[in-house]
Amino acid sequence: MKSSNKYWKGIEELEQTPEFVKSNTNEFSEGLPLEKVFSNNDDSVRANRRDFLKYFGFSIGAVTLAACNKTSVKKAVPYAVKPENVTAGIPLYYASSSVSNNEGFPMLVKVREGRPIKFEPNKEASFYGGGLDGLAHSAILSLYDINRNTGPLVNGGETDWKTLDKEVIKALKSTASNGKSIAIVKGDSTSLVSDKAIEDFKTKFTNTDIISYNTISYSGISRANEKSFGKAIIPSYDFSKAEVIVSFGADFLGTWISPMKFHSDYGKNRVPKDGKMNKHYQFEALMSLTGSNADIRVPMTMGNAGKHLEALYSALNGTKGGLELAGNSIQQAAEDLLAAKGKSLVVCGSNNENDQMLVNSINMMLGNYGLTIDVDNHYMGQTADEKDFQKFLADAESGKYGAAIFLDSNPGYSHPKAIETIANIPTVISTAIAMDETATSAKFVATALHPLESWDIKQPYKGRYVFSQPTISPVFNGRHIASTLLAWTGVDVADKDNLSHAYNLTKEVFEAEVGGDFNASLEKGFVDNVVSTSVPAFSGDINPSLNAISSTQVGETELVLYQKVGVRDGAYGNTPWVHEMPDPVSKVTWDNYLSISMPDAKANGWENGDLIKVTAGSYSIDSIPVLIQPGQAKGTFGIALGFGRVLPETVKNDLKDLGENAYPLVSYKDGSAGYVIANPTFEKVGEGYEFGITQTHYSIEGRDIVREASINAYNEDNAAGNHVHKPAAISLWSSHDYSKGHHWGMAIDLNSCTGCSACIVSCSIENNVPVVGKDEIRRGREMHWLRIDRYYSFEASEAKDLSLGLVHGGDQTIAEGDYMSQEKVIDAYTDSVESTDYYQNVKVVHQPMLCQHCDNAPCETVCPVLATTHSTEGLNQMTYNRCIGTKYCGNNCPYKVRRFNWFKTNNNDKFDYHFNNDLGKMVINPDVTVRSRGVMEKCSFCVQRIQYAKLEAKKENRKLGKDEFTTACAQTCPSNAIVFGDLNDPNSEISKLYKDDRAYHVLEELAVKPSIKYLSKIRNKNETTNQNAH
Amino acid sequence: MYQADIRQPLVTGGKTYSDVTEDICRPIENKPTNSWWLGFVIALIFLFILVATLTWTVWEGIGTWNVNKTVMWGWDITNFVFWVGIGHAGTLISAILLLFRQKWRMSINRSAEAMTIFAVFCAAIFPLFHMGRVWLAYWALPLPNAFGSLWVNFNSPLLWDVFAISTYLSVSLVFWYLGLIPDIATVRDRATNKARKFWYGFFAMGWNGSAKSWGRYEVVALILAGISTPLVLSVHTIVSMDFATSVIPGWHTTIFPPYFVAGAIFSGFGMVLTLLLIARHVMNYQNYITVEHLEAMTKVILLTGSIVGLAYITEFVIAAYSGYQYEQYAFANRMFGPYAWAYWTMMFCNLMAPQVFWSKWARTTPWFIFIISIIVNIGMWFERFVIIVTSLHRDFLPSSWIMYHATWVEVGIFLGTFGLFFTCFFLFAKFLPVINMAEVKTIIKDKE
Repeated sequence: MKSSNKYWKGIEELEQTPEFVKSNTNEFSEGLPLEKVFSNNDDSVRANRRDFLKYFGFSIGAVTLAACNKTSVKKAVPYAVKPENVTAGIPLYYASSSVSNNEGFPMLVKVREGRPIKFEPNKEASFYGGGLDGLAHSAILSLYDINRNTGPLVNGGETDWKTLDKEVIKALKSTASNGKSIAIVKGDSTSLVSDKAIEDFKTKFTNTDIISYNTISYSGISRANEKSFGKAIIPSYDFSKAEVIVSFGADFLGTWISPMKFHSDYGKNRVPKDGKMNKHYQFEALMSLTGSNADIRVPMTMGNAGKHLEALYSALNGTKGGLELAGNSIQQAAEDLLAAKGKSLVVCGSNNENDQMLVNSINMMLGNYGLTIDVDNHYMGQTADEKDFQKFLADAESGKYGAAIFLDSNPGYSHPKAIETIANIPTVISTAIAMDETATSAKFVATALHPLESWDIKQPYKGRYVFSQPTISPVFNGRHIASTLLAWTGVDVADKDNLSHAYNLTKEVFEAEVGGDFNASLEKGFVDNVVSTSVPAFSGDINPSLNAISSTQVGETELVLYQKVGVRDGAYGNTPWVHEMPDPVSKVTWDNYLSISMPDAKANGWENGDLIKVTAGSYSIDSIPVLIQPGQAKGTFGIALGFGRVLPETVKNDLKDLGENAYPLVSYKDGSAGYVIANPTFEKVGEGYEFGITQTHYSIEGRDIVREASINAYNEDNAAGNHVHKPAAISLWSSHDYSKGHHWGMAIDLNSCTGCSACIVSCSIENNVPVVGKDEIRRGREMHWLRIDRYYSFEASEAKDLSLGLVHGGDQTIAEGDYMSQEKVIDAYTDSVESTDYYQNVKVVHQPMLCQHCDNAPCETVCPVLATTHSTEGLNQMTYNRCIGTKYCGNNCPYKVRRFNWFKTNNNDKFDYHFNNDLGKMVINPDVTVRSRGVMEKCSFCVQRIQYAKLEAKKENRKLGKDEFTTACAQTCPSNAIVFGDLNDPNSEISKLYKDDRAYHVLEELAVKPSIKYLSKIRNKNETTNQNAH
Repeated sequence: MYQADIRQPLVTGGKTYSDVTEDICRPIENKPTNSWWLGFVIALIFLFILVATLTWTVWEGIGTWNVNKTVMWGWDITNFVFWVGIGHAGTLISAILLLFRQKWRMSINRSAEAMTIFAVFCAAIFPLFHMGRVWLAYWALPLPNAFGSLWVNFNSPLLWDVFAISTYLSVSLVFWYLGLIPDIATVRDRATNKARKFWYGFFAMGWNGSAKSWGRYEVVALILAGISTPLVLSVHTIVSMDFATSVIPGWHTTIFPPYFVAGAIFSGFGMVLTLLLIARHVMNYQNYITVEHLEAMTKVILLTGSIVGLAYITEFVIAAYSGYQYEQYAFANRMFGPYAWAYWTMMFCNLMAPQVFWSKWARTTPWFIFIISIIVNIGMWFERFVIIVTSLHRDFLPSSWIMYHATWVEVGIFLGTFGLFFTCFFLFAKFLPVINMAEVKTIIKDKE
């Protein structure tokens, strides 16, 4: 280095000797002693440079191989090419339609990163209400069911579509040559796309019979309408226009025909406006959800429904006849109905054609047709008549069919004769997406797509179309039902120009049947092409029906087969959420049972949990537990349908062998499905069954938790029933300052809340609330953040003086008709009267209960680690990561709404539900933490939604709008009973409700200052006696 | 020491100073007896149950217990309060009775203090393991941390508990150890083998028995007694505040602090009596733990039992008088609800049973006292059970009302704590002088 260095490293550098200059050009001036190291003579390592490279190469290779063992690789792969519209963290909403219960019902599908994670109501579809029930919500999990078929099956073994198609076509073609027919048994969905495919199929295979099959039959109504108006239809009912509603055993809010729509219609007139609200009479045998909301509820045996209808018919006519009910209630109903002609509705849950004839003529007399009943734009779903299926069974038995295709139908479960009959058919084909009872006995399973993977157009009401669009690529190798059918006719169903066959077909059907802009209609989710309604001419003859009714022999006792609000007909009975959702009335989860009245329990000497063998007709259920249901009519026994599904072997959780299948008890006398079976016999076979029940104490103990008043008291004073004088609450704490920003609050109207429990399921899905199963619920450990408290109040049947002793408030005088709600009073009364018949007359109230987000929250002060704190917006927040699990907060919560993670509920075989497998976990809401064990959790007022809405507003540089978003519970409520919003916004709905005269805080005397106000319940009833005041 | 003739001697049998040393060092210096082994092995078996059930709880989750959405504290906190209560007699005897110059305490204070410490160990298990995430228990300590600005909540009675109990444990431990030093030195001086000489020498901390040492010893003992005295009152006061500061009817009462303290002393003396009666019998210490001692303690039981009983009745009267339906219901429910059996067990054991001590015969008959002491222990466990479970299981909203029954795991943990307690106690009886030799020597009259 020739430089101006004034320093040098050594004498060599100074002198620039040739050796130095040479060596200085090398990187290592002395050279590396490689030769020496690798070629030493001591036998240690005999290596030269080549060997070094060999060793080096080998070592690297070995290390590389060693590094290749299976340590789990967790990928977080970013989009190489970002799909259009998909941004991580931002949900997309697609308009689609309900996938459960064969109902077309518009809704939105919330999709995150390509995964549908929740259903939300389509608020624009006002005809359908704008809520979703628990079953509709739960159905999303059928998409992520690990027991789904992964592709087409032949004889239970997997195959490919080509092979399946070849074999099926061969089998189908051979039917004609053998002189046999093909049967298509289609589920009662209203899919126009499938119908089109079936039509095309029939053109190709002319020897095809098409049979509609519905699990639950409403043929009584359609047959009566055929006789009355010449149309075998189920009409469209409009409860929103009905001021007086009289129901004879129709659980229209829970299970009858289309409860989601009825619910919201009913709710529209349930809150008193201008001193008026609808008046609801319910005559029923079991205690249904609908009955629990009625203003006047009278127990009635279902077998006598016809005779009671006759009484109403006569009363309206001004004649005498039929069978009156307690308290002249039918006469009373008749008077109210006559006063509300054209604005009333009489419905009946009986599947008896004659009963329905009477209903039709009553509604005709009242002038309800064209107003509250629409036979032109009628209901299209669930119209199958069981006589078709009975005929199919008879034909199949006689060997008529060479092949049967079960399209989206599962009679193997719901019809007792189906399995043995279809065994006679050589080729049985099912389109089930997961193995069900019918698919198990089918030779071919042409696995369909899940509705969320499919295109479809449904017509739930005449002229009303709702659309389904895929929201996820097919998870497995299924194929659209329509494509499958058409493939068998020889059509090429492969994708064309990246568009699936089903899409093209759907578009074709749209243009032919609906018309208009396809894409715009899809985006909206529904199209209404209705015609104006007319008043049909009543052409029926009522006399044969009256004669038939009066000649009917009614049994001493009767068994009523009913549907439960959550599980309904059982088709989607393998989704755990519907089972975990407590029955709105009995609060039993994960079970069906023999529901009996208290007088019957006393007469038979039965107690809750006794096991009974039930025999009705030729079938018996070997053992079913007893549940005593207040409000149930004496002499009636109820068993819910929809249980006892036979699920694949792989199902190991509580869904396996769940409850008893009651479908075999359905009677098919005279070709019509009868759900009321006379004179069942019972035999006690055991005892001690424990229910998973979420509320074990039935009475409200006379406490000021629910406030209520009668309509006339309300009209005199809007704050009737809400004048409770509480001592002024003095607080040691200075109150929170909410003057800036938001202050979240909620109002729950006890009048419009029916207790349907849709909010529970919606909340569970939104907030990743784990499913815990029957055993944990038995231990009182359900995890629901929101529950619905149900309280009974018993009506005294006779006057009594009860001596209760000092500690229970001394002596009490009970007058006839008084309501008793204290355990001790009820017990003392029970001891003092001869019969327990008064157990049939109960008043019910439902009260949603969730975290009240108290300003002076008792939970917040007691947490030693500040895991639960108050936000500046009035939220009581839970910091899961900080929680150490002392559970003191839970103890100190006066509302008992905190839930503790007793176990790890994910990746734990003890809780083998969707949190225990990768497919099921797809439904998890990524915005909400999945809680670990040992931490407390509770309602957060959907803080993730609050945050999302705030951030959206901030991004757009604007203020958060009025009622721009809402919580999962409020959003899904079919009757708008729950309202959430910003109390600092004077125009918000919540601010108005907070000032309502009916608004009150539960347990306000504790001075915890809750952020939830309840609006008192108003009953449309002239209360003659008051509840025992306190 | 001068002894008035009208006073009964506190130590009988004409024991000399040398007898005291011999008698009390005997178990330490000899091989353990068969009865010691038997008791020790049984205690170890129960200790094993404790380890097994706690392991299972931590492994699976608190779900292995039967606590539920409504009754979130069950046997766990019942046992906690039970053991803390038992841990009260020791300090009371050594501190308060020391300040009041009650010389009869001298032959029982050592074992009572040991009992206190072991009981607090047992008690500490419950607040720790009732946590959903016991591995994070240290978060309840105000430790500087790297988690951000995380701090503890000084409003929470559970945090007060952490301080109260850790203070109590450390002061009790120091006090106990201080009292042991002269006796350990005695054992050291008598030691015949190297190991004993080393270990007792180590723990004797160079005690030389000089007047100066004795002078300092007594001053420190007095100071510690002064520090401990408020602790006797404060610990259970604070434990009672776990309940009293809440909103739950049946918990939310201002009577709790004095009532809990009285109850703690009551249960503590009950347990001391149980243990001493066994030790007295097994170790032949009838001359040191005399009937006189037993009688004095039964009087304390009678007094505190009556205070507790008065508190029960006061609570009930105040609830009835309050005009507050939730409060009224909570107490009516205790008496006549589904857990009435527990309430009446408590009433019988705590209020009625000790009243027999009005009779001189009952106070001076050891086997009878033993029975009553067991009844008192049972009664005090039920008191805590009644307060915790019956208040929680039916509080404000009847919709959440529920029943609670323990699982085998909860029962196992409770039984297991007895294993821990007795294991410690047997080891103590084997390795340390169970009676304070130095102090006892001050109250006997050596004729030599």
